[in-house]
This record gives sequence, structure tokens and C-alpha cells, in this order.
Amino acid sequence: MAGDPTPTGPPDEAAGPGDALPGATAGAPPAPGPAPDPTPAVASPGPDDALLAVRAAEGDEEAFAVLVRRHAPGLVRLATRLVGNGPEAEDTVQEAFISAWRTLPEFRGHASFSTWLYRIVTNRCLNVLRARKPQEPLEAAGAVAAPEHTVSPGRIAEARAAVSELHEALGGLSAEQRTCWVLREWDGQSYAFIAETVGISQQAVRARVFRARRHLTNALGAWR
Amino acid sequence: MTTRIHPPDAPPPHEPDDERLPCGRLLSQVWTDWEEGVTDAHRQRCPHCRAAVADLEQLETAVRALRDGAADGAAGADAADGAAAGGPGEAGAGSTASRDADIAARLTGRVMDLVRRELRPGRPLPLGEAGEDLWIMESVAARPLRAAAEEVPGVRAGSCRIAPAGTAGPAQVTVAGRPVRPTRVTVRLEIHAPLATPDLPRLAERVRRHVQAAADRHLGLDVAGVDILVTDLIDEPDSGEKGHGR
Repeated sequence: MAGDPTPTGPPDEAAGPGDALPGATAGAPPAPGPAPDPTPAVASPGPDDALLAVRAAEGDEEAFAVLVRRHAPGLVRLATRLVGNGPEAEDTVQEAFISAWRTLPEFRGHASFSTWLYRIVTNRCLNVLRARKPQEPLEAAGAVAAPEHTVSPGRIAEARAAVSELHEALGGLSAEQRTCWVLREWDGQSYAFIAETVGISQQAVRARVFRARRHLTNALGAWR
Repeated sequence: MTTRIHPPDAPPPHEPDDERLPCGRLLSQVWTDWEEGVTDAHRQRCPHCRAAVADLEQLETAVRALRDGAADGAAGADAADGAAAGGPGEAGAGSTASRDADIAARLTGRVMDLVRRELRPGRPLPLGEAGEDLWIMESVAARPLRAAAEEVPGVRAGSCRIAPAGTAGPAQVTVAGRPVRPTRVTVRLEIHAPLATPDLPRLAERVRRHVQAAADRHLGLDVAGVDILVTDLIDEPDSGEKGHGR
């Protein structure tokens, strides 16, 4: 069974208007808002992901180690955005890699390896969020002050306060809202991609992102 | 800037959180339009729509501050003023790379410790003569064969399956308690070849010879045949540096 080993994008399922399907490069939407995350693309030297994934699927653990090393930082950043700082983010990524090792023989390269991993991590983070008690305050990722070079001094305090508010308001989102919103707003993923990743309809993703935005803008508005 | 009527197949979600602005438009639609870069004369004039967009833009700014801060450490900003949570984001731009390296090293160590407890070595393959009881696991044998293929400049090796010749699965026939095993194996190797290869059959033949030689001399496998499958042609500018010797 010599299937086409060329990795293709995720199966095209009813992409809505304006929804860029993420290919192997996890593209950013054409939206004016979210900028794509500077997650390192696979540019490191050595065999590409697809080849390494094939080798790892055939039991070559050294090939798998290269993949882990290559993708760990970006995935930890993703997990940190979803579940917050702390050991949970790294633990989740670790479990995702173990799960990937076990299921690699069934991975047929329908999506790129990085997209596949992205999905595994996202879904595991979603489960972590769901398991949390409601209203437990969540630590937002990388709580920092706003960069000064982009705004006038007068707006720095404003931006900082907004960041701090945002930080707190994230804790008020449901697991699904937070996940959809983070993937959309922070990672710049298309609605089609998020729908496929989380396993819900695009309409449901849009509704969750909307509710999250509603909640978060209200929280920022309360400060303003 | 595109101007168009609201997409007919993306009706605004009817949900409790939505809000009809005083101008009659739904908040969800105003935000969707903003996100998709759609605008019209009303949107540009209407104070309600503009305020709604301003709210979202403020949120975007805060998100960007969080994201960029986490990425480049917000050089010069007073990190202590940020918020309670420490950790990533407080360090300067210079340490982002080293933090990534730390994460990669730590996680690779932890993951590989676990992976090595559940290896998938593949099937055992006969080594040496028929009477001997020497075996090598497929995944172990595959590694030097891939490496041999990659000695040909620009070639990248992927799948490498090694199977007893003429049988579908591992040899399990036994006579008087001893396995009677076919010693011959066949190798099926998939490679990516450089796009610029002038003579693909010749390249494949070179790869085949490298693999055959490694199997014979290095491993001592009794190779009945080596099948080379070119599964991709790659445009690799630095292909020359891969060829060691030969």
C-alpha cells in the first residue's frame, strides 16, 4: 500500500467564506486582527517532519527525539496559553508526545505532523480546563507589561491595566470558550481549523469566540 | 478594503449574549465584519458600530501585549508591574532562545525516558546462516540502511521495511522446537531525491547499491533484493553537504 506520502493539509470540510484552511504551515487568517504567532516553523536542519514521522512510526525512537526537540517549545507556548503557567502546560505536552508515539503507526500524514501534534495538545489542554473546578482563578500565560515601544507613555499604564484585566477575565471563560478564543485570537487559526481541532461546527466555534470576546471586552470595559 | 453584503451563509448567531446596537446592527455581525475586513459606509460613520469595534480593538491590543510580551520579553518594560504570575515573559529577549532550548532539552529527556520503556522495535529478522539463531530487530536494522542511503548526496530516507523474503510476516515455523527460518530478506526503502537529479534511475541504483552494501557487510543480512521507491522530489539547496565520502 504505497499511499501518497506527501503530507497534505487537513481534509477540507466546508470551509466558510473567508476561512483560510491551515496547511502544513498553520496559516494565519486574512483577518486584520490576530497576527500569526511567531511559533518557529520547521526550518531546522535535518530531515523534514514528514520523513522523521515515518521513521518514528516504524519504531525509530531517535527520529522521534528529533521531533520532540523541534516542537516542544512551540507546543509548550500553546499549552501555556490554554492552561496557564505552571507544570500543567509542560505535563500536558509531555503526555501529548507519549500519545503521539503510541499512535504514530496509525498516523498516515493526512495532516502535517505539526498540525497533528497541535491538535493533540489542544484537546488535552481542553480536557485539563474542563476538569478544573469552575471559577477557579486561572493564571494567564506570560503576564507582562505592554511593550513600551508601540504606545505613548500615557497609554502604557492603560495597556498594562488592560493586560491585567484580561488576565483576570480569562478565568471567567468556559473551557471551550477559552480554547476557541485562544486558538483564534492568539494563534490566528481559522475557524475551519479550530472547528476541526476541537471537533465542533464552525458555527459553534464562532459563537464561542464571540461569547469570549463579549466577556473579555466587558471586563476591559469595566476598568475603562 | 472589501465592501460586500453580509455573507448569506454566515448568519449572525442568535444567542443570548448577542446585542442589537442602537443603530440596528447586531454586535456579532459588526465584529465579524471587522475581523474579515469587511466595511461599508454605515460602519465608518456609525458611532455605535465604531465604539463596538473600538472595544474589540482594545482587546486585541491587550492580547498583543500579552503575546508579544511573552515572545520578546517586552524589553524595557517594568515586568514587576505586570501581574502576579511570574515565569515566561519576564525575561528579556535574549533569553527567549535559551528558555526554548531549556524546554526542548527538559521535555525531550522526559519524553524519551518514557518512550524507551515502550519501544516498537518491529519484527525480528534473521542474521547469518540458516542454522544460526541470530536475530536483529527491524527498526534497529533500518537505521544503518537509511544512513547508507543518505550517503548519496541529497537523498533523504523515509520508510524502510525489511521483511523475510517470500513471506508476509515474521518467520514462525518451527520444527522440533527450533525455528526454521528463511534467512533471506527484502528491503523496501522510500527516499526523497533532489529535484535537480539529472538521472533518477541512476540515482536510485546508487542508493540501492549503498543499501545493499550496508546490509551485506555492516549488518550481515542475507538480502534478496532492495526496492527503492522515490516518493518525493525535493528542492534542497544544501544537498551537497550531506554526502560523506564516496
